[in-house]
Amino acid sequence: MNNTKKIVLAEDNSVLSLLLKFRLEKEGYKLLIAVDGKQAIELIEEHNPELILTDIMMPFVSGLEVISHVRNKLNMQTPIIVFSSAGQEEIVLKAFDLGATDFMSKPFSPHELVIRVKRLLI
Amino acid sequence: MNDNLYILESLKHSSPIIQLVWGISGIFFIIIAFLIIYLKYLRTHLRVNEKIEAKYQEDYESYLVTYLYAGNDDEAFSSEQQLIINELKKCVADPFKRKIIISTLLKLRNEISGEMGESIDTLFNKLGLLRYSLAKLRNKKWEVIAIGIRELTQFKIKAVHKIIMNNINHPKREVRKEMQLYLVYLYAFKGLEFLNVLETSLSEWDQIQLLEVLQLNNDTQISDIKPWLKSSNDSVVIFTLKLAKVYNQFEAKEELIELLNHKSEDVRINVISALSHLNVFEAKNILKNNFNERSHEEQIAFLKMMENVYEASDKPFLLEHIHHKNSEINLLVMEILKNINFEEFEVNEAELKKPLTA
Amino acid sequence: MNTNTVQIIMPIIHYFFLVFTAIAIASYVILAIISALETIEYVKKNSFVNYKEILSSTFSPSISIIAPAYNESLNIVENVRSLLSSHYVNYDVIIVNDGSKDDSLSKLIEAYDLIQIDHLINEHIKTKPLREGIYKSTNPAFDKLTVIDKENGGKADALNMGLNMSKNRYVACIDVDCLLLEDALQKMIKPFLETTDAKVIAAGGVIRIANSCIVKDGKLLDVNFPKTWLEQGQILEYLRAFLLGRMAWSRLNGLLVISGAFGLFDKKIAIKAGGYDTNTVGEDMEIIVRMRRYMEDEKQKYKVAYIPDPLCWTEAPDNYKTFISQRNRWTRGTIETLKKHRKIGFNPKYKSLGLISYPYWFFFERMAPIIEVAGIIYFGILIVLNEVRWDYAFAFIILAYLFSVLFSIVAIVSEELTYHQYKKKSIGFKLVMIAFLEPFVNHPTILYSAIKGNIDYYFNKKKKWGVMIKKGMTKA
Repeated sequence: MNNTKKIVLAEDNSVLSLLLKFRLEKEGYKLLIAVDGKQAIELIEEHNPELILTDIMMPFVSGLEVISHVRNKLNMQTPIIVFSSAGQEEIVLKAFDLGATDFMSKPFSPHELVIRVKRLLI
Repeated sequence: MNDNLYILESLKHSSPIIQLVWGISGIFFIIIAFLIIYLKYLRTHLRVNEKIEAKYQEDYESYLVTYLYAGNDDEAFSSEQQLIINELKKCVADPFKRKIIISTLLKLRNEISGEMGESIDTLFNKLGLLRYSLAKLRNKKWEVIAIGIRELTQFKIKAVHKIIMNNINHPKREVRKEMQLYLVYLYAFKGLEFLNVLETSLSEWDQIQLLEVLQLNNDTQISDIKPWLKSSNDSVVIFTLKLAKVYNQFEAKEELIELLNHKSEDVRINVISALSHLNVFEAKNILKNNFNERSHEEQIAFLKMMENVYEASDKPFLLEHIHHKNSEINLLVMEILKNINFEEFEVNEAELKKPLTA
Repeated sequence: MNTNTVQIIMPIIHYFFLVFTAIAIASYVILAIISALETIEYVKKNSFVNYKEILSSTFSPSISIIAPAYNESLNIVENVRSLLSSHYVNYDVIIVNDGSKDDSLSKLIEAYDLIQIDHLINEHIKTKPLREGIYKSTNPAFDKLTVIDKENGGKADALNMGLNMSKNRYVACIDVDCLLLEDALQKMIKPFLETTDAKVIAAGGVIRIANSCIVKDGKLLDVNFPKTWLEQGQILEYLRAFLLGRMAWSRLNGLLVISGAFGLFDKKIAIKAGGYDTNTVGEDMEIIVRMRRYMEDEKQKYKVAYIPDPLCWTEAPDNYKTFISQRNRWTRGTIETLKKHRKIGFNPKYKSLGLISYPYWFFFERMAPIIEVAGIIYFGILIVLNEVRWDYAFAFIILAYLFSVLFSIVAIVSEELTYHQYKKKSIGFKLVMIAFLEPFVNHPTILYSAIKGNIDYYFNKKKKWGVMIKKGMTKA
């Protein structure tokens, strides 16, 4: 039985996703990377991850829609961490309203993110 | 052969106009041929470059990520990092590769803060890229100078402060703007000192960028904004009003109220908005008193303020203006009255609703 | 006819055509040069601009995207989703369902969890009334969306209702099936915020042709070159017009038209000028002329800006019937607008608007097809009368053809030097081919539709918009 925890990461900045993949895989997680919301939803539906990391501003299907889809249509309680370069309160509130678990605004410290990930995946 | 001779002969004998026309046609034909060859070259060149660029980008991305995680716990560079630094240093000499390296570094720098961010800054320095950015500052072309300043901003190079200040009165506004952003990015509020001497206009685009960069800095030590409120440069005043809003500058209350009589309507509207945000009740009475002398735009701004600071005692004032000829003002007055819960409103609403939803 | 009279008339007619052509050519060349310089300047200025700050600031101005829709049921859900995914922060989307006879509304209600709400619309401009009403979504992810269902009134009427509804400072009027790139709004709003010495009242963007391009999930994945000459010719035409024409007019502050497919306007000015005119088929040109005239009358310094970046991709007609109908409508729109505002023509009170823009548009856009056809008929008459000096005729025809080809190729090279959107291997060759073919393939059709447009305008007043069969973008 494979105990590796799976994380779906939706991020269109290739360097950033490479960086996070590297770091989180070192911690023993398996990373699945999507470059937009639609791809993220497909990966989530196919692999049923233990954690979802998503940017808010993505082409076509936004991060908010991803949260809404996971919580309402798929009825999954998977923890979701959202990050966004836009630090406005409005979007943060909406994200939490829709069911996000945690929020980090960019620029963020990757160390911090890893700590939060580990905490949610205990 | 004979045909060609015949054509040339007839050409020589035709009128000068026809000769001229054929001459121009000939020139066009040559230019077309040349452009087609150039086009082919251009397209191939661009295509090839793109492929190369993509490949290099991938390489540099993985170098960067490896470098960032190959560090030791102490300050020195690990051997693995040293290898990467040496490898990249070789590439930096080539301008094409250098550009990609810088853009890769930037791509990540903008998303990351903390230790790792500083690590990238150190790498920038170690690779000797600072030299090249400084060289850009001495270039004659303005767009190159601007890019140079921007690079120094993004990698937070403080040491070059003096050199950048040379550009304070550069004729091109893009350069001046990059310089202003540099000052604010690195020095937060202290960097805003240029407002004291600024003579050119700060466009709204500039103002928004400055505000956002200021907010990145978690420094809450805001400097005294009062002198800027008295600036002769209207755009500086308007920018300062935005600052007053964002940083809740109650201390400047008196100066703000004074500005209600500023000669520029734009400034006055922005002041009303700032006073509204700060919930300054005294302003309300002043504005009620000279409401009729103000322009429609100011009246609208004031009513928007009223939505936050109304009291029951405002009733008679509002009723006075219930039939204002400007429909937007009308609606605003109604909204406020509605909030004060008037029975009379029911009648007015029915009346108002009739023509609009017919 | 007296031979003497003929002797006098013929040279006069010849000189007329010669002078007209010479001025036309000179103006194309001048505009092309100014355009090229402006575009290069723009690309330089914006190569390092950071649009990030404008995205997240609470001070970034609010924009409403207004998209009228009529019988767009086939793709409306996708199109709306694409509009909702713009990267700008402070905006909303207003879809005006203009009395569609299909199930557009019910599809939207289902896809976006819409419910009907009560809302008072401030009727700045008179429009046709509501039908089913106003809808908003119960899902916070679709917070930005408002759908208005109203009685049919035409595109202009629907846009006016959008203007009435919007509470934002700026409005982006677009065609609902236009694919807007994610950063379109921030690029378009820049001139409004950057210009300090004049008020920017409107900004227009470049329209790129999406035929044969691969669009998936509202994202432009692959840029391809369409297969038919008709479509290829249109791409060439748009490249010439946008890269070598519009930029120059923007620089001279003489731009008279912003494409109805995508334009950003200062809402207050648009409303003060009276909103869109429902009595014309050229409402996109007419409103710009009217807004400019309003600003001139108010004696305020203003500017109509133009962004050369490819921000909006749309479907162009791929069959002759639709193409002719479209060009016919454009012709009638131009005639109607110029006629409605003829007071500003050659009127020094309107400065460059009246003395440069209007005359240019009148002679070289409105009258040009007529003059060209008249020239062809005249040439035919000369052939019949056996009066043709074939050496002259031949030389000039070759010159005109080569000039046309040269101009197109310059447009192609400019495109490569600036935006290089057509990256695939054989497209360069195909573009050059169509540059050589276009005068024979598309141009006659354009002339034909222009003449038909003139005839329809004067003799067939009842004609309106015509129908474009929607096929939707190529699905991946």
